[in-house]
Amino acid sequence: MVRYFTRLRMRRIYKWGGRPYIFDRKLKSYGFEYLNMSVEGQEAVTTVTPGQYILIEGNDDEYPFVAKLLKFFGDESHKQKKALVQWFLRLSEVPQNKKLLLGRSPHPQEIFYYLGRACDNEINAESILAQCPGCGIIKIYCYPLFLHNFDAETPQWALEVKVESCVPRNMTRQTALLNTRPLNPEASCTNVSGGNTVQLTNKVSPARHKKSLEHEKPSKAPPSQNLPNPDDAGPGSNSGLEKELRNSVCFPCFLIQVTPSTPRHATPSIPSRTVPARQPGNILEEARARLHVSSVPESLPCREQEFQDIYNFVESKVMDGTGGCMYISGVPGTGKTATIHEVIRCLQHASDMDEIPTFRFIEINGMKMTDPHQAYVQILQKLTDQKVTADHAAALLEKRFSNPAPKKETTVLLVDELDLLWTRKQNVMYNLFDWPTRRHARLVVLTIANTMDLPERIMINRVASRLGLTRMSFQPYSFKQLQQIITSRLNKVKAFEEDALQLVSRKVAALSGDARRCLDICRRATEICEHSTSHPSSAGLVRMNHVMEALDEMFSSSYITAIRCASLQEQLFLRAVIAEFRRLGLEEATFQQVFVQHRALSRVEGLQPISVSEGLAVCQRLGACRLLLLEASRLDMLQRVRLNVSQDDVLYALKAVRD
Amino acid sequence: MSKRKVKETHMPVGECISQVQMILRERFCHQRLPEKPVGMESQHKHLLELLRRTAVHGESNSVLIVGPRGSGKTMLLNCVLRELLEVKDVNKNVLPVHLNGLLQTDDRIALKEITRQLNLENVVGDKVFGSFAENLAFLLEALKKGDRSSSRPVLFILDEFDLFAHHKNQTLLYNLLDVSQSAQAPVAVIGLTCRLDVLELLEKRVKSRFSHRQIHLLSSLSFIQYLDNVRSQLSLPQDFPDTNFYDEWNDGIKVRHFSSYPQLVDVLQRHYNSSKDFRSLHLLLMLALSRVSASKPAIKPTDLLEASRVCMVDSKANILHGLSILELCLIIAMKHLNDIYEGEPFNFQMVHNEFKKFLQRKSHSIHNFDKPVVIKAFEHLQQLELIKSMDSSTAKIQKEYQLMKLLLDHSQIMEALQKYPQCPTDVKQWAMSAFG
Repeated sequence: MVRYFTRLRMRRIYKWGGRPYIFDRKLKSYGFEYLNMSVEGQEAVTTVTPGQYILIEGNDDEYPFVAKLLKFFGDESHKQKKALVQWFLRLSEVPQNKKLLLGRSPHPQEIFYYLGRACDNEINAESILAQCPGCGIIKIYCYPLFLHNFDAETPQWALEVKVESCVPRNMTRQTALLNTRPLNPEASCTNVSGGNTVQLTNKVSPARHKKSLEHEKPSKAPPSQNLPNPDDAGPGSNSGLEKELRNSVCFPCFLIQVTPSTPRHATPSIPSRTVPARQPGNILEEARARLHVSSVPESLPCREQEFQDIYNFVESKVMDGTGGCMYISGVPGTGKTATIHEVIRCLQHASDMDEIPTFRFIEINGMKMTDPHQAYVQILQKLTDQKVTADHAAALLEKRFSNPAPKKETTVLLVDELDLLWTRKQNVMYNLFDWPTRRHARLVVLTIANTMDLPERIMINRVASRLGLTRMSFQPYSFKQLQQIITSRLNKVKAFEEDALQLVSRKVAALSGDARRCLDICRRATEICEHSTSHPSSAGLVRMNHVMEALDEMFSSSYITAIRCASLQEQLFLRAVIAEFRRLGLEEATFQQVFVQHRALSRVEGLQPISVSEGLAVCQRLGACRLLLLEASRLDMLQRVRLNVSQDDVLYALKAVRD
Repeated sequence: MSKRKVKETHMPVGECISQVQMILRERFCHQRLPEKPVGMESQHKHLLELLRRTAVHGESNSVLIVGPRGSGKTMLLNCVLRELLEVKDVNKNVLPVHLNGLLQTDDRIALKEITRQLNLENVVGDKVFGSFAENLAFLLEALKKGDRSSSRPVLFILDEFDLFAHHKNQTLLYNLLDVSQSAQAPVAVIGLTCRLDVLELLEKRVKSRFSHRQIHLLSSLSFIQYLDNVRSQLSLPQDFPDTNFYDEWNDGIKVRHFSSYPQLVDVLQRHYNSSKDFRSLHLLLMLALSRVSASKPAIKPTDLLEASRVCMVDSKANILHGLSILELCLIIAMKHLNDIYEGEPFNFQMVHNEFKKFLQRKSHSIHNFDKPVVIKAFEHLQQLELIKSMDSSTAKIQKEYQLMKLLLDHSQIMEALQKYPQCPTDVKQWAMSAFG
């Protein structure tokens, strides 16, 4: 894989400052007071000491991790430099459900105190990038979001931090723009002192917190009001600042102001409608809405066993913080994707309840990309919101999954329509299945395809081996299951006769076992039922005959009707084709041969013979609707003609016409 | 207003005729929509209901309209769309997107066209920005953002649907049909095709996502209805300015005029037998209409007869009439070769020999031509595509020995000989004799 970096990478040099002040005999480690960092080739030396807020190299160059430095230590050989940190989360790293718990719309640059147990707080000191840059004084309010039993009683802390301006040269645009803005008048009056002290200034009592909650509710103004954007930082925006001050007292937050650039990617959307969509008015419409494939059912019946297996698999991987692959096969419409979505929904719920660690769910679909290598781009974009080329994305993902990163939650990746990711070298599949085996990856890959033997058929050994043997196949639904699915979807809306349902399910189960087909037929049957009566509200239950009609419409071949509705010359031509086939004893003839028969037949029928051009036109028309298969028309009279329907069907259709 | 009308009833004949031609030409050539589609009421109702539900309830649907060429698929759809957009609640609420398999030959172009027609944010003016992959992601995200109740329904109209099935991986169809089967922005995917086996073209995953709704347009028009159609297609609309002319014109195409001309009925019956679709009828009527002039201000049965003669004429007959005697002789020689060798291919040398035999034995009127002249004539026949070379590698074999086949039927040759001006009798006799 090609790795290339578009930005100039600088080598940093890290040196312990001062002598070790403490030696831990058990761990055989020395404690240090500060760390000197310098960039190769540059004079400037930055010193970081415990207590400072620092940026730590992460997966994303533009958004390094934020943490507070607690302690430095190194081993006897002084080769490894370690640091103990307290993590903070950026807003983008906070899971959605936790954001909801906050009960307000946080500022995009706010950071949050992290109390999770899932990540290691011991890091390699050489991954420290810089001090958390900024100038002036900022207030950090930490909101212990990751306490397991979150409730209003949890004490909150407010920290005041004085951070010196320090913008490292090699920082990227976004971080270089980080600059803090004084939050309250008092703080801004305080002199910018050189000390990087952190002091605990305020402890909000639970009672006060409750009060402040009440306070907040009425002032739930749009975020733009709460958090004035830096463009209007003039004296005119005082009211906004005051409000913010109040909010900052009530609601702890840590603001790192970033000049908002225009979003790089506009969010696309379909324009919204002027008149709201009408809700279903009667029972049949209600039933139709519930039977639509898109409607999300309350539960997924008939897939309990598969659900449980997948659930257990993913849950155990998430709990252990390990990775793995699973291959799921089954014909279309057997609920593979739906089941996985259901599993993820349940797991998300469990993680909201803090029963399992948090995880991220990412979904890609082989059919929804233009090229297999786009898979990398889509995964990276969903993970980090970065937009890069396929090769670069592959390199970044490789780095992400193979390097030990401090805070890492498990990623669950669903790869739908796996067979579309096939390339000649199979490197996309290889990578997808290789990453979970890495030690630090914490990646669970669930793959879906249609054929059971896909790994054996299209994958080379080293790919198939990495996919492993955790397989599952979804059997087509049996008629009982289909019936159960419809019944559970209808959920006591009485729109169908019991027999009618059974007929549909039996018919579909016999043909494909595709639940989508079953639902579509039922939906069509409700329409037919509605139209069968003059007044839509007077329509009763969907009966046998409605279902029969719907089945007929969807499954019956239209060839026979097409032959019956064809013009006389077209029918004659079909007869000529059959006559010529019989004469030749072959299933193929040239137009010229057929046309001789055609002329003879029209003489028998007493019709005026048609010219060759007309005959060709007739032949082309039959070819266009694929009753005949034709060669390219530039062959003119020599093009060969074959039937696309069985001879018996043609004769049957024509016989009925003549009778 | 009424005063003006009275004044206009006396329009000069020439102006009336130009009015008539304008109205009827628009009907025949510009495919002007009729007031109400004829003979497809149930299909019309089905489609209208379906699209109305998408527009009003935000229900996603997919449907295929299948019917032979000229059976009125597009006309039906356009009628339904017109009717749909007349509903007040609907007209601001749907976004129709028209695609054609002949224009959007791959998914890249189709996506750009969709994005352009939907006017998404990556469109500036008429240009769509971003790569293929980005466009796809963009469109899918846009559709995913929407939901049933709040976003506008999008009607994707895919003309020549079967051609979309030939795109790589059927990505576009998969995605459109997937959106129609999931809780995203409401869409209706309407495919128009003339292939009856179109479902077999769809990949199994795409097929599973298609709702299997098919509206078949197979006309079971009887001859009486066909005649009615001819009449209604020719008749002038009520609001024609000159009332006198209107009455005269419409009287001229009444039933009795038709039935009093058995020849005309025969001709129309023949047209009906060969195809029932509107397009071939329009062609016939268009030819008849062009014979109407100020000096002859009505469509006469003879006009229709003449038009039908032009329609029915064999396309190769005219070419044959323009051949020289030598070329005609060569064709006759080829016909004899075909008879002798039962349709096996021949080469120039064989034809030349046959021709020479004829010259020696029977000919009195034809001179002996030099071989290069005969080759030239032979090549001319090849250029006219009356004969066709059988083997593809022409470079290897000498011109005289290339294998050829005749692209003419015996009946065409005989007919051409009958009509050929001043054809020598010995040539005719040679053509009619059983063996050269």
